[in-house]
Amino acid sequence: MKIYEYVIRRLALMIFVLFGVSAIVFYLARGFPSAFAPWAQYVTSRMTAAQVQNIIHQHGFDQPLITQYWYWLLDVFHGDWGYSNWANGFPTFQVFSSRFPYTVELTIAAVILALVIGIPLGILSAMKNNTAADHAARIIALAGYSTPAYWFAYILQLFFFYYFYVWGLPNLPSSGAISQNLSGTVPTLTGMPILDGLIAGNWSYTADGFAHLILPAFSLAFISLGYLARIVRASMLEVLRQDYIIMARSKGLTERVVIYRHAFRNALIPAMTLTGLYIAGLLGGAIVTETVFSWPGVGYIALRAIFQGDSNFLLLYCLVTALIIVVSNLVVDVMYAFLDPRIKY
Amino acid sequence: MKTLARRAETVAWESETKARIAELKYAFYLIRQNPLVLSGLVLVVFFISLSLIATLLVNPVDAVKLDFARSYCWDSRLYSWTPQEASCPTGTNYILGTDGFGRDLLSMIILAIPLDLSIALVVVAIATAIGVLLGSVAGWVGGKFDEAVLRVTDIFLSFPSMVLALVFAALFGHTIQTLTFAVVLVWWPTYVRLTRGQVLGEKEKPYVDALKNLGASPARIVLFHIIPNSIYPVIVQMSLDIGGVILNFSALIFLGFSPSPTLPELGNLAADGINRVFTAPWLIVFPGLTILVIALAFNFVGDGVRDILDPRLRR
Repeated sequence: MKIYEYVIRRLALMIFVLFGVSAIVFYLARGFPSAFAPWAQYVTSRMTAAQVQNIIHQHGFDQPLITQYWYWLLDVFHGDWGYSNWANGFPTFQVFSSRFPYTVELTIAAVILALVIGIPLGILSAMKNNTAADHAARIIALAGYSTPAYWFAYILQLFFFYYFYVWGLPNLPSSGAISQNLSGTVPTLTGMPILDGLIAGNWSYTADGFAHLILPAFSLAFISLGYLARIVRASMLEVLRQDYIIMARSKGLTERVVIYRHAFRNALIPAMTLTGLYIAGLLGGAIVTETVFSWPGVGYIALRAIFQGDSNFLLLYCLVTALIIVVSNLVVDVMYAFLDPRIKY
Repeated sequence: MKTLARRAETVAWESETKARIAELKYAFYLIRQNPLVLSGLVLVVFFISLSLIATLLVNPVDAVKLDFARSYCWDSRLYSWTPQEASCPTGTNYILGTDGFGRDLLSMIILAIPLDLSIALVVVAIATAIGVLLGSVAGWVGGKFDEAVLRVTDIFLSFPSMVLALVFAALFGHTIQTLTFAVVLVWWPTYVRLTRGQVLGEKEKPYVDALKNLGASPARIVLFHIIPNSIYPVIVQMSLDIGGVILNFSALIFLGFSPSPTLPELGNLAADGINRVFTAPWLIVFPGLTILVIALAFNFVGDGVRDILDPRLRR
């Protein structure tokens, strides 16, 4: 199969998946007696029951579910995502796009941290296979994915916010993406505090944004670097047993060159795959971490949307994250073929 | 003719079983060599026996009685948490302090461990049952059915993590049953994919052709030969997932889907401390630490066993 045929097939499947995701969320959010009331934002407490019924009828919320889904799809294709009742009736798309940059900023920071810690950890583990160093590195990695995310987030707050304050050390902020007194002092261009601060040349704003970022980013990175370290370790061990490594060694190359020029580059391919998927997962907003740190990203809002029955926001949120996940799956698979010419589609 | 076929199949079974036993013996030998797996196993055995005798150690009726005069108090001499921690009434000794309802936190944790472990077991068992059933049929039959199953798992795997569980829990009420089912909803596709991949690999092996020629029915081949031969990775995944399920289940409860604020469940105990993180930190520290240790123990075992069962990673 040619690569473009493969990509076209995958794109077709992608559309199918997106329809599936939207149908499931729509059915769950609107199809049950206990479901979220999409008419909530049109109704005030002073309306009579008859008026409420009238509104429900006018907006078609008494139609069969499949008809409602069809109308929703038509609206979506016209770029109308409805109104979010979490945000007091603001357009859903506007709410989402104003919050998404925060999630992007947090994700980028967490991914950089996870790569910087996880990859060396995995290499160390593979190089010193079955020694104390290997065991220590593996314990760190496993502890990463055995840690309850919410718990770790609070522990970080407890130490770096509260105890540092008690001990008279400079403490890190525990919630939000920017200090209250600084918010709004630089023009919003990208929506990411650090980048906006840099563009405006406002150093104190940038530093403040950075200080707010450290704890959430580290807490996200820690719970996911374990997967990365594990994959790097496994693929490094796999590569080190290959014939070309023996060949490289028998040519008399130094161990450094063998490891970094020959083994490491090949071992990175699976790690790259995982990183792609990991970024995709995180861009969906780490709901728990964003909630504990009151980080104003989309994950934080998604939880509020669930509690308040905001089906419009939930639909947009699930569709965008599903889109990111399937697209990055595809990109990763295609990149794989470029990086490793042995792979054919 | 039929008896001959039966006998041939028995021989096949015996040799498969013999190979499996030899494999297991070798695996046990490797487990003994691996300190991480060994320590994980010790911890797993400890937690399982602790949950079996939990109600003997802690009286489940007396321990859960509420006494607000003792709420959030700390009189253990282990450590002093904050400048403002509340002191307990004299004559008590709570090693891990008390929670917001004035209950001994240590007793609550001991009571919570069996609940969390059994929920994790139920979730993993249901997910595995669905996964092995659907995955092996899809892998064996192939064609349209396989394609359909794959696409459905695609959809489920494209959801942002836990959102499906959160929505489900929000809609169907906060009972332990709905929360358990919500976690299953997130977990089953992994097992389908895993089993399907295994079955696809196993299906092409010569012994399957031999069995077909002997006249064994497809159901028989799949149930008695293919599934037993492809089950190891599934078992490893189960032991890795027990920790993950406990993390996710407790996270659901922690995020606000608690069936009752007084339920002794590790996530629920931690959630009790959210508003008092800085004045009663023990409330969030110890339940979370328990979850961490339980998950770590299962992950030590699963991770080590995965390496051991993967012949490519053996030396």
